[in-house]
Amino acid sequence: MKYGFFPGCVLEGASKEDYLATVAVAKKLGIEIQELDGWTCCGASHVQDIDPLLTLSTNARNIALAEKEGLDILTVCNTCTLMLREAKKELDEHEVTRQKVNNILGEAGMNYKGTSEVTHFLWVLIREYGLDNLKAKVTRPLTGLRVAEYYGCHILRPEEEMGFEDMQIPTSLADLITALGATPIDFSRKLDCCGFHAVYPAHDSVMQMTGSINADAQKEGADCVVTPCPLCQMQLDMFQKEAKATVPMNGDMPIIHMSQLIGLALGCTPAEMGMTDRHLASTASLNRFL
Amino acid sequence: MRQITYHIHRFNEGRAYVQSYTFDYEADRTILWGLQKIKDTLDPTLTFVAACRSAVCGACSVKVNGQAMLGCEAKIDEITERFGSDEITVAPIGNFDVIRDLVVDWEAKVSRLKEVAPWIFVKPEFTTKTGTRQTAADFKKFVMNTECILCGCCASECNKLSANREDFLDPYVYTKANRFVMDSRDVSPMAHTTPAFNHGLWKCVHCMNCITRCPKHLKPEKDISNLRRVATEAGLSNKGTRHAIAFKQDLLKTGRLNEVTMSLKTDGLLDSAKQGLYALRLWKHGKINPFELVVPHKPVNGIEGVRTIGRAVEEAGK
Repeated sequence: MKYGFFPGCVLEGASKEDYLATVAVAKKLGIEIQELDGWTCCGASHVQDIDPLLTLSTNARNIALAEKEGLDILTVCNTCTLMLREAKKELDEHEVTRQKVNNILGEAGMNYKGTSEVTHFLWVLIREYGLDNLKAKVTRPLTGLRVAEYYGCHILRPEEEMGFEDMQIPTSLADLITALGATPIDFSRKLDCCGFHAVYPAHDSVMQMTGSINADAQKEGADCVVTPCPLCQMQLDMFQKEAKATVPMNGDMPIIHMSQLIGLALGCTPAEMGMTDRHLASTASLNRFL
Repeated sequence: MRQITYHIHRFNEGRAYVQSYTFDYEADRTILWGLQKIKDTLDPTLTFVAACRSAVCGACSVKVNGQAMLGCEAKIDEITERFGSDEITVAPIGNFDVIRDLVVDWEAKVSRLKEVAPWIFVKPEFTTKTGTRQTAADFKKFVMNTECILCGCCASECNKLSANREDFLDPYVYTKANRFVMDSRDVSPMAHTTPAFNHGLWKCVHCMNCITRCPKHLKPEKDISNLRRVATEAGLSNKGTRHAIAFKQDLLKTGRLNEVTMSLKTDGLLDSAKQGLYALRLWKHGKINPFELVVPHKPVNGIEGVRTIGRAVEEAGK
């Protein structure tokens, strides 16, 4: 099992711990991930807003990098997944657009063929690797750990581009949490948006959204929130203190990357998963489950 | 005999409560049929709106198991199979004020719709004699958006509206605005774009609920995106615009984001300085590296190709 790894900008910057955890987990599971040489920012929906042809072309280039290696693309960021899949759908379904973009890529000596798929680490674990196989690798079941499963918008919606599961009643993340020995709480805000993409222009609304997710996870008895998206993790963790001013809550709610949760269940230490120094909301309360 | 139960969120004279009704199952019936059955046989006080029963008028939108849809289009068989239960929750669509039971107030929404001038400002070359002809290709650019039936489904689970309705318009308003911006016969695209820009255009959080809810398969989030492009090209700018431009600059400069300069370019020096303590916390936890201000990122392998693509895109747009 080998994939072309597209980490996305955030894994190089604010969420380096997710890079660390993803690489470690993939190694332990025997999933080979080879970082695509020369990948660029997916546009994160922002560049798409002001220059859609540029992001369609640069994402065609990103996918072409994987095609050259003969690999499908594996991402860990919901928004990267959506942006790349949106581009792929547009290119695969519209011959005229593909031709136009290929003329542009041709200037740089590249070509988009449409031979590589774009998938998310969570989907690979469910559909390709299999939860039974994952369960067999668990050396430290996270017994008693109550987890608020938080999907993040772009792994579910729009269904037309994503469509891995029913976007109203998803179960993939809860199934994965269960396979690790922990208990998903059927979180009431699992379908909500954290607001990350508008944190600058809609700051006050976004603090309301972020604060509500964190506070309700606490009210519903979660020991931590787990998400398959590093942007959501960053939003819920980095802005947690500030969001408390809008939606009050006591203490910290640990916000954990999906890769970190898997790593803990596979026997990694919190320090190895970057949990001891790279989180703003303390994760120390989780040590009692390890 | 198989039975179906509706748990209906009711509201009357300031009192909100859930009332359950059970009735005999019939194959191939709609959610609206069930509501009418309850009104006809169990409780004549249950209040809802419906008219065409053909997914054309947009009157009967309700929230079914948490998701807005047209009552006349949603099949009981499909809902029970999808959710694995013969018990169905029916509520008024979200982000509207409720008048009674499942009936919501459209009065204020119509005023918001008027803000973007959802009508055509016809180019002067068109006359009553020549008409307002356009090519099939131009017609295709906006015709999808004329399918909007103002059912409100796109607004129901819009996360931005749920957080604050005052500084953001309902998604269908932006769809209506973009319909006229994209119409080659309209002389004044900015008459629709500027009010949209001034009323929350960049506050959309990209939750994508509008796209998944529209019974006509329209894409309000894409309309918002196009309006942002038009506004940006016209020189309208705010934090959202600056944020997007900073992304684009980084993409063409090194291929990847520089989170430190991104913040400065978006917030400006003054606002960034106000965040000094917060920035220190982020630095302490390794979330940002202020040295990136002076030591630029190393460009990705193949950055020349990326820049060539950027230039070719510019050429293609001319």
